[in-house]
Amino acid sequence: MKKSLLLMMLILLLGVVAACAPDREEGTDTKDGDNGTASEEPKPEKLVIWEDVDKSKDWLPAAIASFEEEYGITVEFQELNMADKIRDQLRLDGPAGNAPDVVTLPHDQIGQVVTEGLIREIEVEDSVLKTYSESSITAQMYDGKLYGLPKATETPVLIYNKALMKEAPKTMDELYAFSKDFTKGENYGFLALWDNFYFAHGALAGMGGYVFNETADGLDRDDLGLNNEGAVEGAAYIQKWYSEGLFPKGIIGESGGAAMDGLFNEGKVAAVMNGPWAFQGMRDAGIDIGVAPMPTLPNGDPVKTFMGVKGWHVTEFSENPYWATKLIEHLSNDENSKARFEAVAEIPANVALVEDPIIADNEGAKAVALQSQDAVPMPNIPEMGEVWGPMASALQTLATGKAQPQAALDEAVKSIQTNIETNHPAK
Amino acid sequence: MEETKKITNHGRNAALLSIIPGFGQFYNKQFVKGFIFLILAMSFAFTFYDVLPVGFWGLFTLGEIPRLDHSVFLLIDGIIALIITIMGLGIFALNIYDARNNGKKRDAGLELNSVRQQYHNLIDNGFPYLMITPGFFLLIFVVIFPILFVLLLAFTNYDLYHSPPAKLVDWVGFQNFIDIFKLDIWRTTFFAVLAWTIVWTFGATTLQVALGIFLAILVNQKDLKGKAIIRTMMILPWAVPSFITILIFSGMFNESFGVINKTLLPFLGMEPQPWMTNEVWTRFALIMIQTWLGFPFIFAMTTGVLQSIPEELYEAATVDGATIMQKFFNITLPLVLFATAPILITQYTFNFNNFNVIFLFNGGGPALPSQNAGGTDILISWIYRLTMTSAQYGKAAAVTMILSLIVITVALWQFKRTKSFQEEDMM
Repeated sequence: MKKSLLLMMLILLLGVVAACAPDREEGTDTKDGDNGTASEEPKPEKLVIWEDVDKSKDWLPAAIASFEEEYGITVEFQELNMADKIRDQLRLDGPAGNAPDVVTLPHDQIGQVVTEGLIREIEVEDSVLKTYSESSITAQMYDGKLYGLPKATETPVLIYNKALMKEAPKTMDELYAFSKDFTKGENYGFLALWDNFYFAHGALAGMGGYVFNETADGLDRDDLGLNNEGAVEGAAYIQKWYSEGLFPKGIIGESGGAAMDGLFNEGKVAAVMNGPWAFQGMRDAGIDIGVAPMPTLPNGDPVKTFMGVKGWHVTEFSENPYWATKLIEHLSNDENSKARFEAVAEIPANVALVEDPIIADNEGAKAVALQSQDAVPMPNIPEMGEVWGPMASALQTLATGKAQPQAALDEAVKSIQTNIETNHPAK
Repeated sequence: MEETKKITNHGRNAALLSIIPGFGQFYNKQFVKGFIFLILAMSFAFTFYDVLPVGFWGLFTLGEIPRLDHSVFLLIDGIIALIITIMGLGIFALNIYDARNNGKKRDAGLELNSVRQQYHNLIDNGFPYLMITPGFFLLIFVVIFPILFVLLLAFTNYDLYHSPPAKLVDWVGFQNFIDIFKLDIWRTTFFAVLAWTIVWTFGATTLQVALGIFLAILVNQKDLKGKAIIRTMMILPWAVPSFITILIFSGMFNESFGVINKTLLPFLGMEPQPWMTNEVWTRFALIMIQTWLGFPFIFAMTTGVLQSIPEELYEAATVDGATIMQKFFNITLPLVLFATAPILITQYTFNFNNFNVIFLFNGGGPALPSQNAGGTDILISWIYRLTMTSAQYGKAAAVTMILSLIVITVALWQFKRTKSFQEEDMM
């Protein structure tokens, strides 16, 4: 009897305890969302930036110095790995009160971090927006709102070994003919990781496919264009390269990239499709590389590669969104973007710099800039996370000849749709 | 019960008085002990009186106002509050038990221990407990706490769209478990992955154990020369970090450029095989690789056991006219299995969750049509994929729970059946 009494008391106690919420005033923090636009916004003592690893030397201290001089606000910076560390760290440091004011993120994470409430909408004047290429600004938009300013862009291009290929072909047909002739034994005319949707998208979209349909208010997650006529044609085109033995089976799958890089660096491949991040490794391997935009597809359209845009963002946790926005405007203005390009060789999205000799005379940067004009920003909505897996499966089964284009893509689209319905409730 | 000359109720009285910690001991005139309990209880109440209610409130509600309440942190605080409460209740129960016990001693007319005796008692009988206490505390927070966290997470709807700080996480009961078995794409994938996980666990582990024991017995033959060198060689696969071995194997198994398809198989007069793109061959390769990685450990262990088997047993068997096979099955194998059984079981549980080899060899691939896991994904690598690409934390936790349940059940069952755990000597 005593035991049951004790138990009841305990339960009662727990009930009472569970009911007492901490004292706080509701809604104190919720109104912070809109940026103060008044110019007499109080100045904070300091702002904190998180930049990518090894990407701040030779330019960021100077950019900070000029910002401090102009506005009298101290700025500090830290380096963290942009691919995942910044996002993961922000999740923990934000609520704990140690968050930075400004972070840099790849644009395909924007949908996710906005949904989680880690970065906030920014307001900048039209004159500032016009500084950047239109597609790079689109990449920074989510749900019709602007969430950052572009810092650098990248997209795959054609990289060729000058010792094996005199000049870059203008059309894929030329490249195909060259490859037919050149591919023998362990030598390959052209290689691309077309079992990986990031690279394959260029061919699928160039023929008329698309991932999500672009509408007036953003991407429509219910309108998938990955098994339409164009996409199927693109897939058939991709399959042709594999089935005719122009692409070996050894570059299929997870370790395919390493195999392809290895072959190219040994001088056995005339040309590859790869991004600007690969330049340095190839030069280090002693290959004299040339870089050009991707040749046009047999239907006359350009290869519509995926474009990645790295951007500057103001965190949700910043207490001074107004000055943080000023800071990212300053960091990505023409002058600082140019200094950044000189320091780290990442191609900026500033319109004015494309014509600048510093980029126009740089073969790699110029090719990326030109290719960017035909490139499509990777969708930045969280639903994109469901596309990679099924598309990789479809492309892999195509490459190995286990499936036919229409069937494989139908299958992929079906499972993408199921996954979206399961994991992403409609708004 | 109370049939002493003078009926006393010291036991009950002391226990009741102990509702206020220490007073029962005062009643029993054990003042020092009473003070210790009283001070302990007061400091406990003083330290935690405002923390615990908020902790429990957080645990029950997981927060009420988005952005202000961070559900995951509240869950963590709640678990800590729970652990602290259980500890407090434990001390409280000890206090009542002690008072009641000593009261009963008085009822029985026995002398109570003096302070000095209590101290000696503690040192003599409580020494082992005293020694394991720090480790035990550490264990609670390093092991028990994360387990509780995953356990509770499995009953929440924590995913991308219920991510703090923007949104709150809610309790959803068994919804995650229901979803796993109800939604088509989850169910088919779950059972496909589970089936392969079981095949993998038994195939790879049994092979590595069999090979290890076989080689150990072979090398242990009396007339074999150069045992030291052979043993060193056999241990070598173990000495190389396994992730390096796996990556090298991954290169060797490359379909177009790997040494196995290009040199080894043609040399043996066999056709090259699709190691990386056909799931049956990938599974075969994986089991072979794990055998390679795992046998040296079993080999080393078995060698040790073999050397401790007395020679007389074999001599006696020879006298009785036993064949070599009979000696092996009736002497060697039982003794080896008896000594190594616990470790063999851990080998099975280790392989059940052997993430490294699956992930590094082919990333769980090759892709299979119409399921959201790769052809060689085992449960643990599938969970990793789920959490990383779809941000389904709640569901991933639910799958983890199911997985732990399987491992724990199998391990317990095997441990109970194993003679080595019955604390009996076999020889």
